[in-house]
Amino acid sequence: MFDFLIHGFGVALTPLNLGLAFLGALLGTMFGALPGIGPINGIAILMPLAYTLGLPAESALILLAAIYTGAEYGGRMSSILLNVPGDAGAVMTTLDGHPLAKKGLAGPALGLSAVSSFVGATIAILGLTLFAPLLAEVAVMFGPAEFFALMIFAFASMSVMMGKDPIKTAIGAVLGILIGTVGVDSSTGVMRYTFGMPELYDGIDFVVMIIGLFAISEILLMLEHANRQDDEDDIPPLGRVFISLKEVLACKGAMVRSGLIGFIIGILPGTGASVGGAVSYTTEKRISDKDGTFGTGDMRGLAAPEAANNASAAGSFVPMLTLGIPGSGTTAVLLGALMLYNITPGPMMFSERPEVAGGLIASLYIGNVVLLALNLPLAGVFARILTIPRWVLVPGIAILSFVGVYQLHSDLTAIFLMLIIGVFGYLLRKLGFSLAPVILGYVLGGLMEQNLRRALSASGGDIDILWRSGISIGLWIAAAALLVLPWLLPKLITKLQPSNRPMAQVEDD
Amino acid sequence: MKLAADRLLGIVLTGLAAFIAVQALRLNVPISYDPVGPKAFPLGLAILLAMLSLVLVFKPGEDGQWPHRALTLKILLVLGVMLIYALLFTRLGFIITTLMTVAMLARIFDASWNRALITGVVMSVGSFFLFTDALGISLPGGYWLETWF
Amino acid sequence: MKINKAFHQYAGMLTLIGGALAAGNVHAQSEATECIAPAKPGGGYDLTCRLAANGLEETGMIDQPMAVSYMPGGIGAVAYNHVNGVRNDDPNLIVAASTGAAVNLALEKFGEYEADAVRWLGALGVDYGAIVVKDDAPWENLDELMEDLSDSPDDIAFGAGGTVGSQDWMKAALTAKSADIDPKSLNYVAFEGGGEALAALLGDHIQVFTGDLSELKSQLESGKIRVLASLSEERMEGPYADIPTAEEQGYDVQWPIWRGYYMGPNVDDEAYEAWAERLSELSKSDEFSQLREDRGLFPMSRFGDDFNDYVLEQVETFESLADEVGLKQ
Repeated sequence: MFDFLIHGFGVALTPLNLGLAFLGALLGTMFGALPGIGPINGIAILMPLAYTLGLPAESALILLAAIYTGAEYGGRMSSILLNVPGDAGAVMTTLDGHPLAKKGLAGPALGLSAVSSFVGATIAILGLTLFAPLLAEVAVMFGPAEFFALMIFAFASMSVMMGKDPIKTAIGAVLGILIGTVGVDSSTGVMRYTFGMPELYDGIDFVVMIIGLFAISEILLMLEHANRQDDEDDIPPLGRVFISLKEVLACKGAMVRSGLIGFIIGILPGTGASVGGAVSYTTEKRISDKDGTFGTGDMRGLAAPEAANNASAAGSFVPMLTLGIPGSGTTAVLLGALMLYNITPGPMMFSERPEVAGGLIASLYIGNVVLLALNLPLAGVFARILTIPRWVLVPGIAILSFVGVYQLHSDLTAIFLMLIIGVFGYLLRKLGFSLAPVILGYVLGGLMEQNLRRALSASGGDIDILWRSGISIGLWIAAAALLVLPWLLPKLITKLQPSNRPMAQVEDD
Repeated sequence: MKLAADRLLGIVLTGLAAFIAVQALRLNVPISYDPVGPKAFPLGLAILLAMLSLVLVFKPGEDGQWPHRALTLKILLVLGVMLIYALLFTRLGFIITTLMTVAMLARIFDASWNRALITGVVMSVGSFFLFTDALGISLPGGYWLETWF
Repeated sequence: MKINKAFHQYAGMLTLIGGALAAGNVHAQSEATECIAPAKPGGGYDLTCRLAANGLEETGMIDQPMAVSYMPGGIGAVAYNHVNGVRNDDPNLIVAASTGAAVNLALEKFGEYEADAVRWLGALGVDYGAIVVKDDAPWENLDELMEDLSDSPDDIAFGAGGTVGSQDWMKAALTAKSADIDPKSLNYVAFEGGGEALAALLGDHIQVFTGDLSELKSQLESGKIRVLASLSEERMEGPYADIPTAEEQGYDVQWPIWRGYYMGPNVDDEAYEAWAERLSELSKSDEFSQLREDRGLFPMSRFGDDFNDYVLEQVETFESLADEVGLKQ
């Protein structure tokens, strides 16, 4: 049954392909680490090169898959060190990753993120190997109505992030959703808030959004620190470099849970690493954050999104390989690469081109081992980026931001937009807003609106469609439970247990 | 009474909400297959935003620390440098604009002139070749450079 | 300075490897040709640019690789404005376009510039629309579907990868119209891209998918879908030979999706004609026909003025169609 995989390892372990996996992992890490230049661009840029070099199909695919997984590893680097997410999947990584770096634990944080990325990816690849055809069936069961229920669930799970200022969290999320409505309405084709500017028709680009919101506002904030006279933490201390086994083991629950969540979300076409990271982080916060340490540099808060975004990346291969349907932007590019080689992914690929299907899956296993081996020892080197003086670091961030946006758009409007969003982000941060709800609102809001409207278009306006399937009903119940239980449970428990034992211990594992 | 930052924000956001709602109502929709349409969502959000903002107006949080005058000037300076960078980026090409921007930013972040200029040269030339040759990203070369290469 | 050393080593290493990979990759050189894909990497326009780039390079018609750059925004409008406003006379620049661009021009979504503002250069291939249902659907041909559709339009959901007014929607609207069904009475679901719509079809969330033939190859092989009609002038060959055209079944709908290029308005005749000649020669070569087939495209040969007239006429047709289906107020 697993002939294709044995065959695949045979293909992937040839010196050429092993070398390509290594090269891809390295380049991918680099692409992921540069803000704005994510896996999609990395693959799109290198795809024609692989083709021109005359690499055979399976080798090209191995190179590209290694870039993809490498980028997911690399995306965390600037999240942790600079509080600037390297790509969409790494937004949630900033929440606990950067505080850890500020505490002088940049090295261990990078190490831990490499380990959790490895664990998440491994869970997903195992799932991919064992259940791919079955999972593909489940993935298509998600229609517009189910996606709408999933988005309601995602918003409900965000309620845990309300924190100390619920009004500002809510305003942030609403602003994020509103930013997401700019552009052509993807149902009716009507232009919303574009003011006649063609540059806005496609909406405000995700990369422009995260670079502006995080990188540009970070530069402005750094100015403040540089200028402060009483500087006590101008440059964070560089503590120890390596993560201890004990710390890794303390996060094992978070990694496994988040790996599973990320994998499942990655399988669904249309939702990617950003949603996977968000849901896993909020879930983990709900499960493990008993002392309120999430957001202040809790290792589990770093492990969760890291495991999840890598698992999502691998998960999105499921619909692509089994159905020929891309589950994410990056797999859409990979699909294009396959077409270049006249390979049509789909149910027939495993039997007709086993060396490609098997080689790809085998290279995912190998790529992850390579990445772990590459990233653990280098954590210390990368952590030293923090010791670079600000007068070098800030221009560096500025260059990366400009190039990242420019190479995506070849257009100045996008750069101006980035600067405006940067000022907006700076003001929000000064006013005590957290940026995560803004980004999550932006990502989830559009999906929620469009899927609601798609469902109602399909049913001809009949609202029943929203709770017609078992999956939707399950998600609605889960969402309701998320909102009601935290409020209801303590009351119930105090009623049942007059001894007033703190509830935290009830679910302690 | 001192106007708290949150109050001001609340007022600005209420205005924004009104603007969003008016724009949504003015949308012209020839064909829509769903009863919700493109207007409902922004309208609902505008109402929600207005309500949340009013809470902020009447119950503002603590007033944060705001930059004093010298810092505000520096912030505007940094933004100005980046704006000029953007404006000249395609016209003068990557290397020369990046050199100027890096040197200026380094100066603003308290580097000496020497250091700032050296950083500028190293970073602009180094990153140009890193991006174009190693990563295959095309950058504006600037027309004046073409005669050189 | 330890960090500097580490940085230099790292950068040096990458430069080396990347340099080896990118051997022959050039920066700003005036003679290098360029193709703008007016979209993000990986979409149909990217493939259109690559088709020209790889074809011209493999046949040795250009000596330096053609650069492909991306200019997403406004479903192609940003690039259209850019070519009209900024690089309007660059003789080495071509921009990818398709039937979708013609539809947007007809709907005046490209702003101030009209369809005749640029010089339409030629098309290297064409794809055709298709009416697709799932393998276990109750309809065996277009007649049966149309009959059920006029009886109970609310029970049959159409879906495709584009908004109302996009070329994907036009396929559904025109098919309905050909059976005297008002396009407004359809249940139409707009997805982001054909892939999502296809997934929705396989999951029974929509009943009819109006897609393109080229994206259906693997599903056809696996037998998970049934194509009721292809929207081509005549039957296609190969794996599509058993698919009847809509015309054969008595419905007057054709929907070719050409993949071609335009150039700036002030490009001189000499450069324009040289390009048209180059593409025309390319489309005749054997190497290229293999490339085109690999991308699931069918041959189409219209170049230079012939193509320019074709596009302008098409835009005019789309304008009146948009009026007929009630898209313009």
